[in-house]
Amino acid sequence: MRILITALIIFVNFILQTSLFPLLAVRGIFPNTALIIVTSYALLRGSKEGAIVGGFTGLLMDIFFSKMIGFYTLLYLAIGFLFGRSQKNFYRENYILPVIFCAVSTVLFQAVLYITGFLFRGEGNIFYFVLSILGPELVYTAVVTVLLYRILFGINEWLELKEKYKYRLF
Amino acid sequence: MQQFFEKYKKQILRGGVLLLVLITVIASGKQLNATLLESAIGVVVTPFQDLTTGISSWIDESITSARDKAELKEENEDLKNQIADLLAENRRLAMYEGENAKLSALLKIAQRYPDYESTGATVIAKDPGVWYDGFTIDKGTTKGITANMVLIAPEGLVGKVLESGATFSKAQSILDSRSSVPAMSMRTGDLGVVKGDYTRSADGLCIMEYIDAQAEIMVGDEIVTSHLSDIYPAGLAIGKVLELETDTSGLTKYAVIQPYVDLKHLDTILVIDKNSAVEAPVPEEPSVNTETPAEPEEPAESTEETQETGVSE
Repeated sequence: MRILITALIIFVNFILQTSLFPLLAVRGIFPNTALIIVTSYALLRGSKEGAIVGGFTGLLMDIFFSKMIGFYTLLYLAIGFLFGRSQKNFYRENYILPVIFCAVSTVLFQAVLYITGFLFRGEGNIFYFVLSILGPELVYTAVVTVLLYRILFGINEWLELKEKYKYRLF
Repeated sequence: MQQFFEKYKKQILRGGVLLLVLITVIASGKQLNATLLESAIGVVVTPFQDLTTGISSWIDESITSARDKAELKEENEDLKNQIADLLAENRRLAMYEGENAKLSALLKIAQRYPDYESTGATVIAKDPGVWYDGFTIDKGTTKGITANMVLIAPEGLVGKVLESGATFSKAQSILDSRSSVPAMSMRTGDLGVVKGDYTRSADGLCIMEYIDAQAEIMVGDEIVTSHLSDIYPAGLAIGKVLELETDTSGLTKYAVIQPYVDLKHLDTILVIDKNSAVEAPVPEEPSVNTETPAEPEEPAESTEETQETGVSE
């Protein structure tokens, strides 16, 4: 049940992100909802599941848009794993922390893409990167995370309740 | 089994990550057609993308069509007039074409601007990131589309196919910073390379690099693909020069190009196969020409130029 619903979330997000969300973008920038989902999932369920969700999200991205397979897979997997490690350290009912974590993961993700894809090729324009890409994207990400995290949180609560009934934990 | 995993958890994790890195390194730079797995996932995903893109573009269309009906009427009038003009122009050009074919047959040079077999396709998904300008089209190897085919719109060049699966193909537009297209200025024949630039792609612009510092290229010049590419056929329109700047080294210039095609709102495009040139009256041994293009280039180029100026008048 959990696997099915998680797969459905990844799948639906991928389709919306590649076909509908570019129409809503402002100057070509829209928050990376896949990254928000991976980070939120890692925060809710821990590093193991975060890594698995991240790996499959990245694989879809790789198959359809990347020149070489494996780059996004590894990146999303690492982010899922890394943010899952902090799962035990905070209350997941908190509103602010997921927003901060998603912002940090966005910075990490964009910085890796910028450094590997552009800075090493000598095309790095750090002012443009920070002011025109990272800045606006962080603001959008914060707004979208508030909404998206609540949805994922609700789904997760519901699933955990079902699992508790299934294994007769109370 | 469970114990085995518990015991060697770290090793398995390390092995997995290493394997991923290895695959990335090996697969990078190769432009092959998609594997069976990729195609299988494509078969599942593309119909949904097709559906959502269809729905969103339908909504977009219905909103705009309700809004500017009056504008459309006016535009229709204008376009009708234009069609009449263009038809007359076309007839004249057809005569030129026939004459050109006859003359080049006399001169024993192959047609340099042949027609290509084309397939229509629809853009169904876009790369969600800000860095690259890639997209997916709804046709793949089952419709005969393979890697390195060229994508065009009626106005000019769009990009090329990177890789194709059974029912879909990855493509990149000329705004993508990984793309580079050998190009030249139509008026002066100055050579350069049109590249994507991520700082300008949000505005739908790209740049043409490596132009000679002494080149007489000017703002407003038309840029077309040159003969120096084995992917892009020569003579496809790319765009207009918007501004010119000298490089920091002072040895070369670069130009900011405004593409003719609205690459930010792509919808339907044509895929052309360079190897399927429908050769018009071609005299014998066309291969001789491609190997030694130096001499017979001049007459063909000048005829093309007169044609072009004819169009722009």
